[in-house]
Amino acid sequence: MARLSLRNVKKQFKDTKVLHGIDLDIGDREFVVFVGPSGCGKSTLLRLIAGLDPITEGQFHLNGQLMNDVPPSKRGIAMVFQSYALYPHMDVYENMAFGVRLMGLKQTEIDARIDEAANMLRLGELLKRKPRELSGGQRQRVAIGRALVRKPDVFLLDEPLSNLDAALRSDVRLEIARLHRDIGGTMIYVTHDQVEAMTLADKIVVMNLGRIEQVGSPRTLYETPANTFVATFIGSPRMTLIKTSRDGNRLGLEDGGSVVIEDLPNANANGTLTLGVRPDALTISRDGEEGFAASVVYTEYLGDDAYVYARLADGTLVSVRTHPNALYEADEKIRLHVDAAQAHFFDTQSGQRLVV
Amino acid sequence: MPRLRLTGRGLWITALIVPPLAVMVTFVAYPILSALAYAFYDWQGLQRGEFVGFKHFHTVLFTEPFASWTRNAFINNVIVFFSLMVIQNGFGFVLAYALWRELPGAAFHRVAVFLPVVLSTVIIGFLWKLFFHPIFGPVNQIFRGMGLDFLAQPWLGQSSTALGSLIFVNAWAWVGFPTLVFLAGMQRIPTELLDAARMETNSEWVLIRKIVWPLVAPSATVVFILLFIGSFNWFELPYIMVGLDGSPYGSTDVLGLYFYRTAFGNQSAGVQDFGRGSALAVLTFMFIAVVAAFWTIRLRKREIQI
Repeated sequence: MARLSLRNVKKQFKDTKVLHGIDLDIGDREFVVFVGPSGCGKSTLLRLIAGLDPITEGQFHLNGQLMNDVPPSKRGIAMVFQSYALYPHMDVYENMAFGVRLMGLKQTEIDARIDEAANMLRLGELLKRKPRELSGGQRQRVAIGRALVRKPDVFLLDEPLSNLDAALRSDVRLEIARLHRDIGGTMIYVTHDQVEAMTLADKIVVMNLGRIEQVGSPRTLYETPANTFVATFIGSPRMTLIKTSRDGNRLGLEDGGSVVIEDLPNANANGTLTLGVRPDALTISRDGEEGFAASVVYTEYLGDDAYVYARLADGTLVSVRTHPNALYEADEKIRLHVDAAQAHFFDTQSGQRLVV
Repeated sequence: MPRLRLTGRGLWITALIVPPLAVMVTFVAYPILSALAYAFYDWQGLQRGEFVGFKHFHTVLFTEPFASWTRNAFINNVIVFFSLMVIQNGFGFVLAYALWRELPGAAFHRVAVFLPVVLSTVIIGFLWKLFFHPIFGPVNQIFRGMGLDFLAQPWLGQSSTALGSLIFVNAWAWVGFPTLVFLAGMQRIPTELLDAARMETNSEWVLIRKIVWPLVAPSATVVFILLFIGSFNWFELPYIMVGLDGSPYGSTDVLGLYFYRTAFGNQSAGVQDFGRGSALAVLTFMFIAVVAAFWTIRLRKREIQI
């Protein structure tokens, strides 16, 4: 059982404000991912939840109890660090036993828990080894094991995959997902990689410049991003934002063609509108007067797909997904058409999503 | 037959190695070896007499009164070593921890703690000899000023306090060295590792005992070894503060002073005796070399890669 609630949580280091009032609720057994560019405050927020840094202002409740002044070891929270932070002078068994011993558990209980964790993480062979004798992936598993044996209410994971090579990363990602399913604790996971966020999370918290931009399921964020920041952060290749001038149902670029979309948001009926299109929402034609005029920059061939990168009249670089057999030369003039059902609309000034 | 050619590189290496090697041989290796040789001869002043084998070693170890003098000096060295181990290194660790935790004023104290280490031992000796002066010295004046008259003692003049006072001065002067080494060891511990420990305990004591100390201890090897060598070579400070006799009544006598008296002579020890002096020097050297080598090898094994 673990419910976290953060109310107007702020953090300030000397004169630098790092978090500007975070409001967030996290439910029992949820897998929440904090994602955002570096410096957005996601790791700081995690450290506040862990208790490693004090909260400057606001309140953090865990299961209804105010946690602001509770020391980290008494919060029922365990953390897996980016560098794993294993104790170099202790073997794997001791690394895992250290915390639970301090909790005052009996030796038989300690052994039982370590056994269980070792089985779950395939650490049985490694119990007598020192951290320096382990590979990166093994250290990672020990770090997770050390968190597991404490049976915490909440697991915090701070970029746990970033020190692993690419091949291992997807394995460990699957392992973490499986672990969450098996033990069912609440997990909070910090990453700057949106693929990790999309694949692992029940709920993603997108952060930027010390604020939460949007909270929602991966599907919600992908399909209805609240603003241009979330729209471009989630999804790969990125969504393209096209700043258009609007005339009725026609969205145009100066000397760059235009598209007609039947259902447009009511706001900004005349004026400007930012059109958001993912690579899937665009189709290419070689002639005609409809659509945005563009010239091909280059084509990326990926086997089952190809991405065409083209430049619009205003200089915006657009990515379009096409059939791998479609061949486009550099500098070729093309027309781009928008699939209205997959288009997103944003206010050009505020960047907020506009509802149709 | 291969011709011996001096290439540019070889010339460089030779030019760089030969001068220090010459200095080492002349002033380190040769004196040690010749002292070893001197110890086996009888001496009339600077005139070498007959070969006498292990007679001098036997004399300083087993013939009275030399044997009890040797024992007394050696025991004092042992006391000095263990006291400094506890006081100097222990206090050094505490200071390092305080500096590491960035208590207020850490920047100033980091410099202040290390400052006496840079001072010459001669200056420190004279300074503290004046400080300890029974009547005019600030130590006793401060005690009297605080109404603690019973603490106003002739610190260097009575057997019960003389050696302790010397140990105190040595610790005061040298505490900066272990502090610096321990501090460097602590700063090498990654922040995330301490964070990980803080997730599991909020006891500062557990943190020190189970995490900080085991990770810092290996870097203390060099501190321990140097302290050991320094304690059994102890000479300048007692020489300046209490004189060659280890006064009062030999209560501060150590092997260094005893050797010097014996080899070069003074009023109380009589004429110089290179033979017995060299025997003492050789014994001291052997003792230090064997123990230090043994410890270095043993403690090195404990070193931990962070």
